[in-house]
Amino acid sequence: MSRRNLELVFLAVAAVVSTMAYVSVYAGRYHEVNRVSLIYGLVFAGVFVGLHLLLRVVLPQADAFLLPITALLAAIGLAEIFRIRPALALLQGQWLLVGAGLFVLTVLLVRDHMKLDRYRYIMGALGLGLLVLTIVLGTTINGSKLWIRAFGFSIQPSEFAKLAIVIFLAGYLNDKRLLLSVPTRHVLGVPVPATKYFGPLLVMWVLSLAMLVFMKDFGMSLLFMAIFVALMYMATSRIVYVILGGGLFAAAAALSVMIVPHVQDRFNVWLDPWPHASTTGYQLLQSLFTIADGGLLGAGLGRGFLLYSNRQPVVPDLQTDFIFAALANETGLLGAVAVVLLLLLFVWRGFHIAVWAPDGFSKLLAAGLAVAFGLQTFIILGGVTRMIPLTGITLPFMSYGGSSIVANLALVALLLMISHRTYVVRQGTDLQRRRLAERG
Amino acid sequence: MNKAIGRLFVIGAVLFAALIVNLTWIMAVRADWYAERPENRRALAEELKIKRGVITGFDGSVIAASRRRSGYYAREYPQGALAPQLVGYSSVRYGRSGIERKLNGELTGQTSALSLENWADRLLGRRPEGAAVKLTLVPAVQRAAQQALKGQKGAIVVLDPKTGALIASASAPTFDPADLEDSWERLSQDANAPLLNRATQGLYTPGSAFKVVTAASGLDNGKVTPDAAFVDTGTYVVFGGKVTNYGGEVYGPNDFTTALTYSINTTFGKVGNLLGRKRLISSMERFGFYKTPPLPLPQGEVLPSGRYDEKGILAPDAFMDPLAVAWAACGQEQVLATPLQMALVAAAVANGGRIMEPYYLQEVVAASGNVLQKAQPRQWLVAMKPATALELNAMMQRVVNVGTGTAAALEGIQVAGKTGTAERGDGSNLAWFIAFAPADDPQVAIAVVIEDTQSTGGEAAAPLAAAVIRTALAQPELP
Repeated sequence: MSRRNLELVFLAVAAVVSTMAYVSVYAGRYHEVNRVSLIYGLVFAGVFVGLHLLLRVVLPQADAFLLPITALLAAIGLAEIFRIRPALALLQGQWLLVGAGLFVLTVLLVRDHMKLDRYRYIMGALGLGLLVLTIVLGTTINGSKLWIRAFGFSIQPSEFAKLAIVIFLAGYLNDKRLLLSVPTRHVLGVPVPATKYFGPLLVMWVLSLAMLVFMKDFGMSLLFMAIFVALMYMATSRIVYVILGGGLFAAAAALSVMIVPHVQDRFNVWLDPWPHASTTGYQLLQSLFTIADGGLLGAGLGRGFLLYSNRQPVVPDLQTDFIFAALANETGLLGAVAVVLLLLLFVWRGFHIAVWAPDGFSKLLAAGLAVAFGLQTFIILGGVTRMIPLTGITLPFMSYGGSSIVANLALVALLLMISHRTYVVRQGTDLQRRRLAERG
Repeated sequence: MNKAIGRLFVIGAVLFAALIVNLTWIMAVRADWYAERPENRRALAEELKIKRGVITGFDGSVIAASRRRSGYYAREYPQGALAPQLVGYSSVRYGRSGIERKLNGELTGQTSALSLENWADRLLGRRPEGAAVKLTLVPAVQRAAQQALKGQKGAIVVLDPKTGALIASASAPTFDPADLEDSWERLSQDANAPLLNRATQGLYTPGSAFKVVTAASGLDNGKVTPDAAFVDTGTYVVFGGKVTNYGGEVYGPNDFTTALTYSINTTFGKVGNLLGRKRLISSMERFGFYKTPPLPLPQGEVLPSGRYDEKGILAPDAFMDPLAVAWAACGQEQVLATPLQMALVAAAVANGGRIMEPYYLQEVVAASGNVLQKAQPRQWLVAMKPATALELNAMMQRVVNVGTGTAAALEGIQVAGKTGTAERGDGSNLAWFIAFAPADDPQVAIAVVIEDTQSTGGEAAAPLAAAVIRTALAQPELP
């Protein structure tokens, strides 16, 4: 079966599952099933079938798993958001359409991601600019300065900066990787490359430190630093960068726990939430109670206890950072593990694409995107289950949040482009290769 | 490069595997442990699926009822904030309080008396329904009491002295239980403590209102008679200190009845020392001090009255010097009392010296219509001899007719009462009035306390008591 036909089959399965999820939520709320609840599933499937058709024409050899996984995660997330607050689900649906639009634009305008390599410094500047803009113009919500208010929307530029910085780093590190992997001198017996090439590491460290101090957001700061360290490691295969980067970040983190009260609270709550059960630890404990209450199978979508009688969610921010707690509550351990595996499957496809990609830039770009996606997922899932200190960050495709879903759909578009090009370069016909060359 | 990419993926997969292990740990292994944590109120949510019984006033009007909203029952209050501190709240997030908490078993249909009916319900696949609870609280009187307190801080307790039935229990400032979940933060941090039930939890210096207890002790022990003669010089010097009158008044020669009528401190200080610490304290115990009044409310919602220090209530046999005894006899020193306790003091005089157990529960009716429980008035304590009660009754009538409590006099109804004004260090007063009426056949006993006032008990509290008594006696039926 061709990749696109396989994708269509997966999409059909995703459509069935998402319609069932929505019908279940709808029935739980209104005690009936009607055409509206079925139309939702059809419209949702229509959007993704549209994207599928676009891929058929433009990127026929792109990976077959990514789009169906995206559709399934987004559908489950949307159903759960509808479950918690129907009005937000409508907005999220609109954001999904915007994201689909950006997906189409990315695919049609970029077509071949190798072009992006040429704009690497522009991308780097763009990413940096977005972050600086957030620091300067940002609004503080829940103690973190991550949002910019414009035209009545709250935009989270760091979600987009994440993509731009991965593109920049992939291009830059691919270019300089030989220089970076040859040590020119020793510091304390450790081989270290020339300061000139070592510089970017410090710049990146300062950047994530600035995010920690000015945005007071540990999660995003950790994400950016980790993306950088992972890409350095992949580019040079030298573990010393991991140790160095990790050490520098650990030092910054320890310092921030000591001096930034917001981060300190989060850290203390993580160590022992019980004394803070009604104050700073309330959210985390309610999250744990909600997850634990799910049991093995959960009460079913739309049937768990997630809202108080005044319609306030049992966990503050349930529809954004804590969407996974809601899902675990209603679908139980089985559903929660299924979603974790689905997210891991997405990450695996990203790495798979990286491994097969024919050139260094594509490899670093694909792996960088996969690391960004996987780590973001881990930070929030680990946070709501108290494996690591809680930091507010969205769960890709599932949390309520326009910026997150739009940026992550662009991320999918990039991965699909890389996988398509890999196939054409490795196995494509001469005609296909010539077309690729002409377009570039 | 592929080797490094592969290694990174392995690290990622291990992290995700750790997530799954942790999820299994939380959701399968430790699920029950989390469910049983006291901080976890989700179990209450299960009870939200049961139709909670209705709470009605003595006149049958609904105070709190449950209505189904999207699968769960939510509490509604058709009469607004009617005795919210006593009735309490039932919130998944903030737990329960007051009657909602104490009678949760009855209201959710989970007491043993209901289990047979529940069993039948389950067999038929019906959800159990809670029993209806009828209170002795009379909404009209309760509203009058709340109205009287409006804009002030304080409490009013109205009892039926012959049965102990609680007719009204108001505490101000108050709150609206309907939007508790939205306003919790503000309510729980408000310095004026609207959530506190001042009627049973508020500990106040009783001031001269306490002189009723001292007088009962003196008469009962034969240390003094209503016409015993005293001379007031404005100060009573004792044990290196002195007892003075409110406002620096000097009354000259007076008898004991006059001393109560005008609330002469020096005379009561002397009576206190005629009695001595032991007799005074044991009289207090006979009035219910040093015991938690048996009004069935959750632990901590009814406090005992007595002598307190910073650490809490003192033992009845704690040492007192004669100066302390003299001031305690005037309701000062370290004596603290709740409005409920002071209402019981008035009720004791009204009921010939016998104090009935205070109660608020008129009856419990199961959803099937079966009456599961009915109020049965029981005697709690004997505070004094019937003859003493009769003498005190006459003395307290004089307080209202010619003394400090004339503002409580009512047309056609003989009120008997006692004022109290406790001066606080900060220049504000605590105004008290305790009373019962009609004096020859008491139907109601009342205690009124107003915090942070510049006026005396006779000015600030007595008129409120009169208004509430008038409303109460105008009711077609009292418990």
